[in-house]
Amino acid sequence: MAFVEINNLIKRYGSLTIFDGFDLTMSSTDRLVLIGPSGCGKSTLLRCMMGLEDIAGGTISLGGDPYITGAERGKMTLDKTVQKEVGMVFQHYTLFPHLSVLGNLCLAPMRSRGMGKSDAQDKAMELLKRFGLGDRAKFYPSQLSGGQKQRVAIARALMLDPKLMLFDEVTSALDPELVKEVEQTMMELAEAGMPMMIVTHDMHFARNIATQVVFQERGKVIEAAAPNDLFGNPKQDRTRDFLKNVLNIEG
Amino acid sequence: MALDFAFLLDFRWVLLKGLWTTLQFVTLALVIGLVWGFVLSLFRTSSNWVIYSLSTIYVEFFRGTPVLIQLFWIFFCLPLFLDVNLSDFTSVVIALSLYSGAITSESFRAALKSIESSQHDACIALGLPPTVRTLFVILPQAVLRAIPNLLSNVVSLFKESALVSAVGMADLMYVGQNIANNVARPVEILTAVALIYFAIGFPLTRAVSFVEARLLKVVKA
Amino acid sequence: MNYDFSWFHVERAFPTLLEGLWVTLELTLWANIIGLVLGFIVAIGMMSKIKVITWPLTLYIEFFRCTPALIQLVWFFFCVPILFNVWWSAQFMGLLALGLNLAAFNSEAYRAAIQAIPESHTDASTALGLNGLQRIFFVILPQALLLAMPVLITNGIGIFQQSALVALISVEDLMYQGRYLSSQTFRPIETLTLVALMYFAVSFPVSLTVTYLERRTKRLLAT
Repeated sequence: MAFVEINNLIKRYGSLTIFDGFDLTMSSTDRLVLIGPSGCGKSTLLRCMMGLEDIAGGTISLGGDPYITGAERGKMTLDKTVQKEVGMVFQHYTLFPHLSVLGNLCLAPMRSRGMGKSDAQDKAMELLKRFGLGDRAKFYPSQLSGGQKQRVAIARALMLDPKLMLFDEVTSALDPELVKEVEQTMMELAEAGMPMMIVTHDMHFARNIATQVVFQERGKVIEAAAPNDLFGNPKQDRTRDFLKNVLNIEG
Repeated sequence: MALDFAFLLDFRWVLLKGLWTTLQFVTLALVIGLVWGFVLSLFRTSSNWVIYSLSTIYVEFFRGTPVLIQLFWIFFCLPLFLDVNLSDFTSVVIALSLYSGAITSESFRAALKSIESSQHDACIALGLPPTVRTLFVILPQAVLRAIPNLLSNVVSLFKESALVSAVGMADLMYVGQNIANNVARPVEILTAVALIYFAIGFPLTRAVSFVEARLLKVVKA
Repeated sequence: MNYDFSWFHVERAFPTLLEGLWVTLELTLWANIIGLVLGFIVAIGMMSKIKVITWPLTLYIEFFRCTPALIQLVWFFFCVPILFNVWWSAQFMGLLALGLNLAAFNSEAYRAAIQAIPESHTDASTALGLNGLQRIFFVILPQALLLAMPVLITNGIGIFQQSALVALISVEDLMYQGRYLSSQTFRPIETLTLVALMYFAVSFPVSLTVTYLERRTKRLLAT
């Protein structure tokens, strides 16, 4: 049984079909990077896995537990206890602007896990220090740089000890000089053995962090391979065309 | 003609008393309107269509008619409806509170609507239950965002309050017009009254812009 | 409640109320024409770097925005004839006060809209060889009008409601006729309710249009 298993996923927005029978698996030692042209459904896939999108068919499992089951009519079924084992970081940080950094980190553990205030704060400070943000605990999101905001968002997700982390284009909104610090934080997390699924446009970073790269187009997996194989020797023409285009643009 | 502003000093206490009356009922109407407006904004997001329609009609009606007619209606019609005698002060407070509630509810509603859907996504990703989401994430942000609008409602209500002179309430406007009629010096008196209103309205308006700029920085993180 | 409704009086009153409504609409229309044109001129003036121009304009805008419309109206009615020795009708004085009031608010709406126009358009106009006036008329005005439209209409309908104030300086508008009839017939509930409904019948559709326009502008700008 694979760690993450997506079976026959169907997702539609009105008359627009994003996935019509999509399959994907990932082991618990993998860091899977999704690449592909914009609008191919990479972000939608992560949103489906987080339970943010109502799916029309298929199942999504974590650790052998199918926690999301789509329904053609009516709402999908969603197991909230498994959902809470998945953490997600978004492109636009989505920090709570009215709470300090510490407040952002402590809200979920205190209010939905019943963790005590001092325990939550200790844990938060430990994470912040680990990410070099110890001196920012009392700051408000508006006082942070984009890179700092995104690292706080990662720390906030880690407060709940997720078994799987989803990263949805987390460096796309950042100024180029701020991208490095966020990528470093993610590398550190990778070295600590956190299973992750990452959507990114940064091919260099994808190659560095991934154990498995999936090239996706129009809601289908075109090619999945280890990073050196996929980037060094792509088997499919479409993968090659895509890589040629993005690598050219990146210069 | 020769203008003479010196005689105004004789009337300073009368004018101040008028201003005091204005401030009293404006404050009362603001406080009542704040509570009533918040309740109304919740009604307007209700899924019960009777509550939703009634509150929507109420808000649209009070926003869509002149405050002057609302005032006259409360003054002359409400006592007939309820078969009671209301003091001028009570009638004025009722009328302005009903109006202030309608505009306040719109401020709250707009603030609620302005919160990005990504904030809801973040709450789900963090596994926050709906009550926590509403109380600790949505409500504080809605209140923060509503503050500039609520403050400009204060300015509006303060300005609209001059209308109560039309029903014989002895506010600043009424006192001013009375003196102007008695001493036949409208230019000096009315200019002075306008300046008194300005002396309060202007700093309030400035405060709104100031607070708005400060809050925008915090909220747009 | 023991109040005998009598709609007979209302029926008799209706033609008079319609006359009043006509006066109200006339006032609203002219005040809006003044407000739209003068408001734009003031907004352009406020963009000037010359203090002699911006200072009096700021004073004008702030004064009209920060004082009750009623005192503006009463001031015009009583003080302008004395100060300037002109004796115009109450209706004209009311119109002047309402128009100047609206222009002050509209100039702020225009100013916000002008600030929202990307600076690159000024550069583009220069690159296209347009002079200052051409730029104002062909590049800035159309965009400012489009962007400011929802606020301009909201202000315009606001002046429709504020126009009820002219009843207090005995201009025979809808409000005045309503008050007159309700005291003449001793039928305040029927008359005043009808008057309120007549105001509402005009302003509600306009406010719906604004909501619609706002949604459309947002979509237009989002792409």
